[in-house]
Amino acid sequence: MIGSVITNLKGYTGNLRLSREIVLFAVLVTVVVTMSFLSPVFLTLSNMLNTSRFFTEIGLIALGMTLIIITAGIDLSVGSSLALVSVALGFSFAAGLPLPLAILFGVFVGLAAGAFNSFFVTQLELHPLVVTLGTLALFRGVAYGLSNADAVSDFPPWFDYFGQFFIGPIPGQLIVFVLAVFVVWLILARTRFGRYVYAIGHNEEAARFSGVPIRRVKIALYTGTGLLVALAAIIYTSRVSTARADSGTGLELDVIAAVVLGGASIYGGKGTIAGTVLGLLIIATLRNGLVLAGVSSTWQLFILGVLLIAAVFFNEFFRKEE
Amino acid sequence: MSEAQVSTADGRSSSVGAGFRRWLSWPAAPALVFLALLLVGFSVGTERFLSIGNLEAILTSVTVLGIIAMAVNQVILAGEIDISTGSMMGLCAMVGGIVSTSYGGLILPLLAAVVVGALAGALNGLLVTVGRVPAIIVTLGMLYALRGVILLITGGEWVSGIPGETRLMGLGAVFGVSIPLILLFALFAALSLVSRNTIWGRNVYAVGGNRPAARLAGLPVDRTRFTAFVLVGVCVGIAAMVFIGRTGGVQTNAGAGLELQVIAAVVIGGTSIAGGRGSTLAALTGAVLIGTILNGMILLGVPGIWQSGVLGALILLAITGDVLRRRALGAEA
Repeated sequence: MIGSVITNLKGYTGNLRLSREIVLFAVLVTVVVTMSFLSPVFLTLSNMLNTSRFFTEIGLIALGMTLIIITAGIDLSVGSSLALVSVALGFSFAAGLPLPLAILFGVFVGLAAGAFNSFFVTQLELHPLVVTLGTLALFRGVAYGLSNADAVSDFPPWFDYFGQFFIGPIPGQLIVFVLAVFVVWLILARTRFGRYVYAIGHNEEAARFSGVPIRRVKIALYTGTGLLVALAAIIYTSRVSTARADSGTGLELDVIAAVVLGGASIYGGKGTIAGTVLGLLIIATLRNGLVLAGVSSTWQLFILGVLLIAAVFFNEFFRKEE
Repeated sequence: MSEAQVSTADGRSSSVGAGFRRWLSWPAAPALVFLALLLVGFSVGTERFLSIGNLEAILTSVTVLGIIAMAVNQVILAGEIDISTGSMMGLCAMVGGIVSTSYGGLILPLLAAVVVGALAGALNGLLVTVGRVPAIIVTLGMLYALRGVILLITGGEWVSGIPGETRLMGLGAVFGVSIPLILLFALFAALSLVSRNTIWGRNVYAVGGNRPAARLAGLPVDRTRFTAFVLVGVCVGIAAMVFIGRTGGVQTNAGAGLELQVIAAVVIGGTSIAGGRGSTLAALTGAVLIGTILNGMILLGVPGIWQSGVLGALILLAITGDVLRRRALGAEA
């Protein structure tokens, strides 16, 4: 009898999970249809492909954030890390470092920023929320200090390849993003490391007693997210051809909104890459549509803020039903 | 290992050691020591620092930060967080400013600002307690949503030319003591009293210290947290009136970034971010510490663009210190 109850429960949960992705897809379709009414340019292939140039940066970081949120963590510092990497890259180049080395230096700074976060989270066992709130201020401040609130924009033409390269009509960064989605999906869904991530999120104590190397997993997650941030920062810097300390302000909101909209629970243990990609597409189409409809950027932040709260509300609502 | 060290220290001088340890476990103690050292350091390092005028200027400059920090302190004590205060302050100041330029007076703008703050705080509290959305998500969303509301109200216009009678809370003085300072210390006294001597105040500590235990003990966990969020809104409304009194006008980006300074003040002062441990004095000390550091930086000629970096480093130092202190004190703290 208990067996049949469990089977029933499993079926119920399965249905819910199915319905969640269908709901997300329906939302996406609704947004697309609404936006195509608001703007005639919206539903064109060139606009869609062009939009992908803008959501790649958010998307890359959202992949890492998904894994962090599944472990019941969070990283609020990603917007500031992006600025720090951008400034490190731009200003080391301006100071005379050859550009390839400057790019490598940027990658190193991104990794270091992630490792810095993970040090506080794992060695001092501090809540990632406070740690990354601190580094949100610290990284941004260091970026401002190092750049002296100035900008670098005299990059050589070949640097454009990272953010302004097209293969036919397809933007180069879309290919990078698709590759990254595949790799992170593979890690999360098909490796032991991925199972560890879910195990930590479900019950960290139980995972510890089961021999999951919690610290190493978390160090890898935050540092790996730092790498994705560095990648996003390079693409961003190349796309706008400028390295400035105010880049990526408020980016963490987009990223976290995409992840929780995609169904990852902020309490940990739940979330998928497919969900995050759907969440990202909804946010990207919404933002692009609002821009085309001439809505100001602060209003976009308002809508995003409300969307974020609503998404988490519905997540936890569904979770309670389970 | 650390416990063994503590007990040897005890064996050598029991009464002094015990007294010192009790003092060390006092939340605001490290921040107060740090503040004292800073005051001495800046006094020696710069000529203009140690004057009544400058010290009063520091205290007055942290009034807005201090009032909000002491309220957010209650939210953090209850085991939650509120990072929406920057936009909330901007919204309250905007509403207060608009009411004051249309109707004048002090009471009406103050009421408007406090009511708007309380409503925003109540929305935060409802979403956290009834909606069961984590406070970090609610207040992160609200940080951006409220900034949008400011633009909705003003259409991007600034408010300026706020009449003198409204600016009393920011500029006035009684017997030579500025009104912001009197407000800061009156609120400090009131919040200390509420926190230490009322049922709600004690419930906040219990809920933040161990929520399941508080629930099992029959404490009104949700109502306690809800009230803390509303308190933040009310205090933000009061602080907004000090703000517009001091500036005389409100820009659409008023209060941007204030939320980080507020969190920094609370945790630097010694209130544990994990909840259940801390004091109103800690939040006030943290706010004064931040004001002193920013003031000292200016006097020492450190460029203003490093402000955010220094703030971030201070938050990390404070939370690291809190962990190390708790480890050193073992289970006692």
